[in-house]
Amino acid sequence: MIGIRNLTMTYRTAHGEHQAVKGVSVDIPDGQFYTLLGPSGCGKTTILRCVAGLEQPDGGEIIIGGRTVFSSEKGIWVPPHDRNIGMVFQSYAIWPHMTVFENVAFPLRHKKPKPNRAEIKDRVAKALALVHLAGLEDRPAPYLSGGQQQRLALARALVSEPRVLLLDEPLSNLDAKLREEMRFEIRQVTERLGVTTLFVTHEQIEALTMSDVMAVMNDGLIIQQGAPAEIYAKPTGAFVADFIGRSNFLAGKITAVSGTNGSSVASVATPIGALNARTDGKSKIGDSVTIAIRPENVVLVSPSAPADANEFAGTVDAVVYVGNLLDCVIAVGSEKVKLQLQPSAAVDRGATVRLSFPLEHCLALPQ
Amino acid sequence: MATLAAEQPVEPPRVRGFDFVPGGLLGLTIFATGAVLVLVSIVLWLSFTEGTPGDPVLVYTLDHYRAMFGDGFTYRVLWNTVLFSAVTTTTAFALALPMAWLMERTDFPGKPIVFTMMTLALLIPSFAVSLGWVFLLHPKIGLINQGLMHVFNLENAPFDVSNIFSMGVIEGMNLTPLAFIMTAVVLRSMDPALEEAAAISGAKPWQAVLRVTLRVLMPGLLAAAIYIATIGFAAFDVPAILGLTRRIFTFSTYVFWVLTPSEGAPEYGNVATLSVIMVVLAAFLSWAYRRAQRQAPKYAVVTGKAYRPRISKLGKWRSLAILFVVGYFIVSQLLPLIMLAWASLLPYLQTPSLQALESITTRNFVNLPKELVWRAGTNTAILMVLVPTITLILSVAVSWVVLRTKIKGRGWFDFLAFLPLAIPAIVFSVAALLLALFVLRRYIPIYGTIWILVLVYSVARLSYGTRMTNSALIQIHPELEESAKVCGASTGNILRRILLPLMGPSLAYAWIWIALLTYRELTLPVVISTSSNLPFSYLVWGFVQASAYGSASAAALLMLCLMLPFLLLYWFVARRAGMIAPR
Repeated sequence: MIGIRNLTMTYRTAHGEHQAVKGVSVDIPDGQFYTLLGPSGCGKTTILRCVAGLEQPDGGEIIIGGRTVFSSEKGIWVPPHDRNIGMVFQSYAIWPHMTVFENVAFPLRHKKPKPNRAEIKDRVAKALALVHLAGLEDRPAPYLSGGQQQRLALARALVSEPRVLLLDEPLSNLDAKLREEMRFEIRQVTERLGVTTLFVTHEQIEALTMSDVMAVMNDGLIIQQGAPAEIYAKPTGAFVADFIGRSNFLAGKITAVSGTNGSSVASVATPIGALNARTDGKSKIGDSVTIAIRPENVVLVSPSAPADANEFAGTVDAVVYVGNLLDCVIAVGSEKVKLQLQPSAAVDRGATVRLSFPLEHCLALPQ
Repeated sequence: MATLAAEQPVEPPRVRGFDFVPGGLLGLTIFATGAVLVLVSIVLWLSFTEGTPGDPVLVYTLDHYRAMFGDGFTYRVLWNTVLFSAVTTTTAFALALPMAWLMERTDFPGKPIVFTMMTLALLIPSFAVSLGWVFLLHPKIGLINQGLMHVFNLENAPFDVSNIFSMGVIEGMNLTPLAFIMTAVVLRSMDPALEEAAAISGAKPWQAVLRVTLRVLMPGLLAAAIYIATIGFAAFDVPAILGLTRRIFTFSTYVFWVLTPSEGAPEYGNVATLSVIMVVLAAFLSWAYRRAQRQAPKYAVVTGKAYRPRISKLGKWRSLAILFVVGYFIVSQLLPLIMLAWASLLPYLQTPSLQALESITTRNFVNLPKELVWRAGTNTAILMVLVPTITLILSVAVSWVVLRTKIKGRGWFDFLAFLPLAIPAIVFSVAALLLALFVLRRYIPIYGTIWILVLVYSVARLSYGTRMTNSALIQIHPELEESAKVCGASTGNILRRILLPLMGPSLAYAWIWIALLTYRELTLPVVISTSSNLPFSYLVWGFVQASAYGSASAAALLMLCLMLPFLLLYWFVARRAGMIAPR
């Protein structure tokens, strides 16, 4: 497992100080695939590099597999070569002066006790087979394609059977098709080996599809942590709602609250009118909130149907065909509402339509 | 509603009149590359002829080659040169590699100062430094030798400044700044993740450096080493000032020696033959350099991400590291130059003491031949203005023709413009002499005028100039010119309004760099200067040859002082062009 307690890290450069990590605690149980997701500069890579031992944090504690590798309090610092971890770098960091075999054998040759020649050969072959590179042992490393280099980096990270695997945006240099393939493949390999994995990315699709647990980071802090489905369905704040997927946001004030804790419903006065939305139960009348609803959850209803709550008339402002669906923007009063429709839906620019915001998809997020 | 375009049909823009600029640029290119070709050919031609060229009867013969290859002394000189070059390269890298590592990968304090000092040290005339070493290590007058002999009651001087090994070490220290800058660039080009991956894989720091860092950098370092070895091979200043009086030759000084016999007329055929041998060997080194340079990017992993290398903390080694770097500057530059100043102030060389201090005099300065100094200064000033200007005009023309036209044979233009890099300066000098004496004599009498110097300096700097203009031009997207062309601009207008302004900072930097190299150049004028067209450096050389060390050091010191404002100017320009910069 990986334990991170109250980690802080400040970069000191010629241009001044920048606090990259502002007190982050994470617990990753054995075998879990844990993802740090956030925009660039949010501190996620810094955390990963601190776990690897490539950066020395200012404060906090890092525990890998029960062994404290860093503690500012106890004055513990274990250098990277003694941490028994595997890591895949964003640039892959494949050593260009070695063959495929030598690249993978390198961690074994620096392991204590050092395995004998036959065992090294055997384990390298197994690692290469795991990533579908069997038979390429003697190829000079620079003569591999981008995807193959990626697999090689993974084989090298896993060959010494580390307790922990660290992945630093490993897919960002691949083209779209290969990226999709490797997402699936990395997940499969880590699952099969049961290795604890810390994965860093700025691509939400990677976080959502690969993680057991993911954490959304911003500005050096973890904003929300949970299973991907939970984070997508129940963002606790506007940042997460906006960063994960797309959302429509409506600012407003709570005028009434009904229902019990956990599943209470608030009436919110918004610029386009009163809107009912779910709340966390802590919100009170008079609180300022932001209502978030995802474009795919906004529904077009027949203008002739009887009027209902959470329904508003609007004008179609823009329609964009994106292949598998239609992206529409509807003007409702002074607000623009994004929504997604099937390509077969017949909507024209300038047409008047009626929108419904289903209560179960409207989240009132505290500001 | 009718659009504007529909109301006023626009004529396709057309360039009016004849566009003579491309022809002009091509002409300049042919002139520049032709000059290189002529200079190389004349040496080659004369090496195969017997008798005075220009005579009606000219015999073609292999005698010179037989003579040179049959002479055991040629091999001795060759061996000396190889040894000298090897010691130079080893010394330069033994000093430059640790210093570059300290600057690029550790928290060494005051890095910008070190980078500035290194760049300025590149420009300090090496004949001035060599002269300082004479005063430090000469068996008879050298301060260190005299001191040690006095203290330990030695019969003989413990150091010999004139042997190949000492000269190689001194040349190596002079070339350390260049090796430093080349090594720093190589270090900077490496993806630090390669080293980090080794650490993650369980390699201890020294194992990571040995098995990954050095191996990955090897092709780049090798290219830099070959480059330094090439310069060492062709070096003239150090072996000329330290070794010539003792008849210890490298190829450059041997060519000079054969060309200036103490009695009788020089054997021009032999000089040309030695020059050809030298060009062939230097060309081989240049070929090896280009090959190594092409291999270098093989290992470069381009990610487009800004590299953020791990900066090691020096900790308790910090003071030792500072001592090493400061010690280098003191020993290699400051000490010899202080000795130079000391020697220039004394009637004869003495160990520093109170007694010696009393005999300090400005006699060496006052007694300098004023008229000659004035003439040398004027000539140097003329060269410093004309040479960079002409070199850059020619270089822009060559680069434009090579990179922006589809003319057949433009690859040859590029090759010929690069060729001067492979040709030792002494050979250029010899070639210009032979050209002026035997070919141009009757048609364009330039021997003894400043023009022969302008010509040979400009041609010799062509390789540097075109490398600078090539890289500046490559960075300017062709669409910037094409859009101007579509707007109806002629080539001249494009050159004046688009290209030259965009290349401005690079050109300014290259201009002042070439001007400073012109100022410190000794090898090129050494064969072709006469008392009428001598530059300042030749004046110092003349005093050294006459063993007038007092006057030589006074003139050299005067030259160094006059250089200071130019160094300052260079520093400002280079900083604005971003050429002096630690990470």
